[in-house]
Amino acid sequence: MKSAIVKAVAVATGLLLSVAACGSGDDPATTADGKTVLTISLWNYASTPEFQALITGFEADNPTIKIKPVDILADTYAEKLTTMLAGGDQTDVLTMKNVIDYARYANRGQLATLTDEVAKTDPAKYRGLDAFKINGEYFALPYRQDFWVLYYNKALLKDSGADLSNLTWQQYAQLAKSLTKGTGANQVYGTYQHIWRSVVQAVAAAQTNGNLLGGDYAFLHDQYAMALDLQKSGATLPWATASTQKVTYDTMFSTGKAAMLPMGTWYAAKLLVDKAAGKTTVDWGIAPMPQIAAGPVATFGSPTAFAVNKKAKNAAAARTFVDWASGPKGALTLAKLGLYPSYTDAVVLAAYGAVQGMPTDAVAKKAFVPDRVALEMPVSDKSSDVDKILTEEHELIMVGEKTIDAGIAEMGSRVKSEVG
Amino acid sequence: MASTPPTLFESVRAGPARPPASGPARRRRTALVGWSFILPNFVGFAALTLVPVVATLCLAFMQWNSYSAPEWVGLDNFRRLWASETFWIALRNTAFYAAGHIPLTLAASLGFAVLLNRRLKGIGLFRTALFFPYITSLVAVAVVWNMLFSPDTGPVNQFLHALGVHNTPGWTTSTTWAMPAVIITSVWRDLGYYMVLYLAGLQTIPAELYEAAEVDGAGPWARFWRITVPSLRPTTFFVLIMLTISSFKVFDLIQIMTEGGPGRSTLVLSQVIFREGITEGRFGYSSAIALVLFLIVLTVTVVQFRIQQRGER
Repeated sequence: MKSAIVKAVAVATGLLLSVAACGSGDDPATTADGKTVLTISLWNYASTPEFQALITGFEADNPTIKIKPVDILADTYAEKLTTMLAGGDQTDVLTMKNVIDYARYANRGQLATLTDEVAKTDPAKYRGLDAFKINGEYFALPYRQDFWVLYYNKALLKDSGADLSNLTWQQYAQLAKSLTKGTGANQVYGTYQHIWRSVVQAVAAAQTNGNLLGGDYAFLHDQYAMALDLQKSGATLPWATASTQKVTYDTMFSTGKAAMLPMGTWYAAKLLVDKAAGKTTVDWGIAPMPQIAAGPVATFGSPTAFAVNKKAKNAAAARTFVDWASGPKGALTLAKLGLYPSYTDAVVLAAYGAVQGMPTDAVAKKAFVPDRVALEMPVSDKSSDVDKILTEEHELIMVGEKTIDAGIAEMGSRVKSEVG
Repeated sequence: MASTPPTLFESVRAGPARPPASGPARRRRTALVGWSFILPNFVGFAALTLVPVVATLCLAFMQWNSYSAPEWVGLDNFRRLWASETFWIALRNTAFYAAGHIPLTLAASLGFAVLLNRRLKGIGLFRTALFFPYITSLVAVAVVWNMLFSPDTGPVNQFLHALGVHNTPGWTTSTTWAMPAVIITSVWRDLGYYMVLYLAGLQTIPAELYEAAEVDGAGPWARFWRITVPSLRPTTFFVLIMLTISSFKVFDLIQIMTEGGPGRSTLVLSQVIFREGITEGRFGYSSAIALVLFLIVLTVTVVQFRIQQRGER
């Protein structure tokens, strides 16, 4: 009997120890053959070809370093990374999915400074770099700089004879209405304005020099008026339907349900892949974002960057990777995949234009070099709080619960009282 | 003890083969055995539940971004909460949800349990059908109901149209109707589970009671109110407590169905806790909201216990 008790206690203790052991598992800093192991936090590794390409390219150039991806689900990337860093995680390189999250980590002092790295480069060639400047220092280097363009379905636009090279919003709305036809399953919408608030708000901010953190949102009025008019006239899928049906912009455009689509340059890469795989047959083109008045092209975008964890196990190797991936070699790797890199020079642009299936006409060429790319959301410690307020009021305006003026007034008063 | 050795339990109960131990020593050993049984579970509970709960209690009075050291701020978090419009909206929405979800689920589950508590061919099929929503993935439930409620193309409104209702609600796209839509979905999902609890309760009511009542001339309605409902009192109490707690901590369904929208019309307290804590990294403030939510649930539950005790007397 005594032995039975001893056994029970032993089993219980054994279980506990094995549970405890799980927590203390540590990655070695080097592989068996002496290579430095570099860990990188990223999302949806299997379905995001850019990460695989960057890692393969970097390892080929740096044979002494072996990269180990820390794969995180894209939807919960920010939350997961926040939690990891809070727990003192030592992952070397951290991918910054957007500048708002970046500002959060940088302001909390969780990222190593990269100001010296920036000093070694030609900052003019790194698009979107400014977004990462906080109090005169840089804590991440951008490797991608996506910005918004207007996608269009060549087959659906052929008869209209429209010139898309410098559309105004007014012309865009008229065109959208004229392209709308059919009913029920055969309905084709002139355009599809996705449910994100940026489709209305960031466009307006970029083209009127409005400040989305400022507290005065009168500059949003005209863009909302157009968006609501499109919706009311049936030229786009209503916001409410798109939201409840969880409609994806890809479905709307790639199945020919919408003739035009304002969207980010990342979508081009997906269209290329899907077309090559035979998933879609849409004959697509790219045009510059419509403007308030014909003239220089202003649009908005948001860079994606690599940062080095302040607690990185291999800080030196991490810096090497960040330099490589954000620099000319990384940029060339990305451009060949049809992704718009942050670093751009003639070689990179040529590679981008030469991607199989990429539109190369004059309108597309103009679309790829906008005159001004504003940041989708200014970086500040208030960005995410303001973002939430603007999103909530955006919903209310788009479903018709609030008038444009009431919604804009509410945005202003909430930003002032809640964020201050 | 000839062929089979005694089990651990037997030997402890029956006492050892050696001279019986004195009282305290024996008690200690019994306690030790008891502890060794619950230890694995208890350690897990302590590490994963007890410690975080106590930590939340302390964090509510601190400012902490999870990276730097926590800083004592006294009642600052509560002052901020008191002044926050979003907190009050979320509190009101949570109360609205509870006020709809609790009575409707209770009534529906009791109703279906009574209907299905009979010998009938294929009754198992109906019971299973009603239980199905409960075991369906919540994400699927939320996404599909969201589509059903779609204002223009959703079957719910098409059905209402067919019935002659012309001014159909906007459901999840309307600030007025979003919460009712969420409540309807959650009642549909939960009623199967509580129905099973009620079915179990119904089986324990002696048939003689009904027979005697019938002899005395009681109709079905009287039998339901005079026999079924009072006999189910313990079950109802349990169901009520479970429903209350689940209503106040509702999160997943709303997060997927409406994300608190449109605007803040379906934003509930647990979502605010999540946003402030996990998304914004303001763990002190989010702990303060969590503490308030805990106190509300505690108060409601204690009140329910009191009422139940009074009723039993």
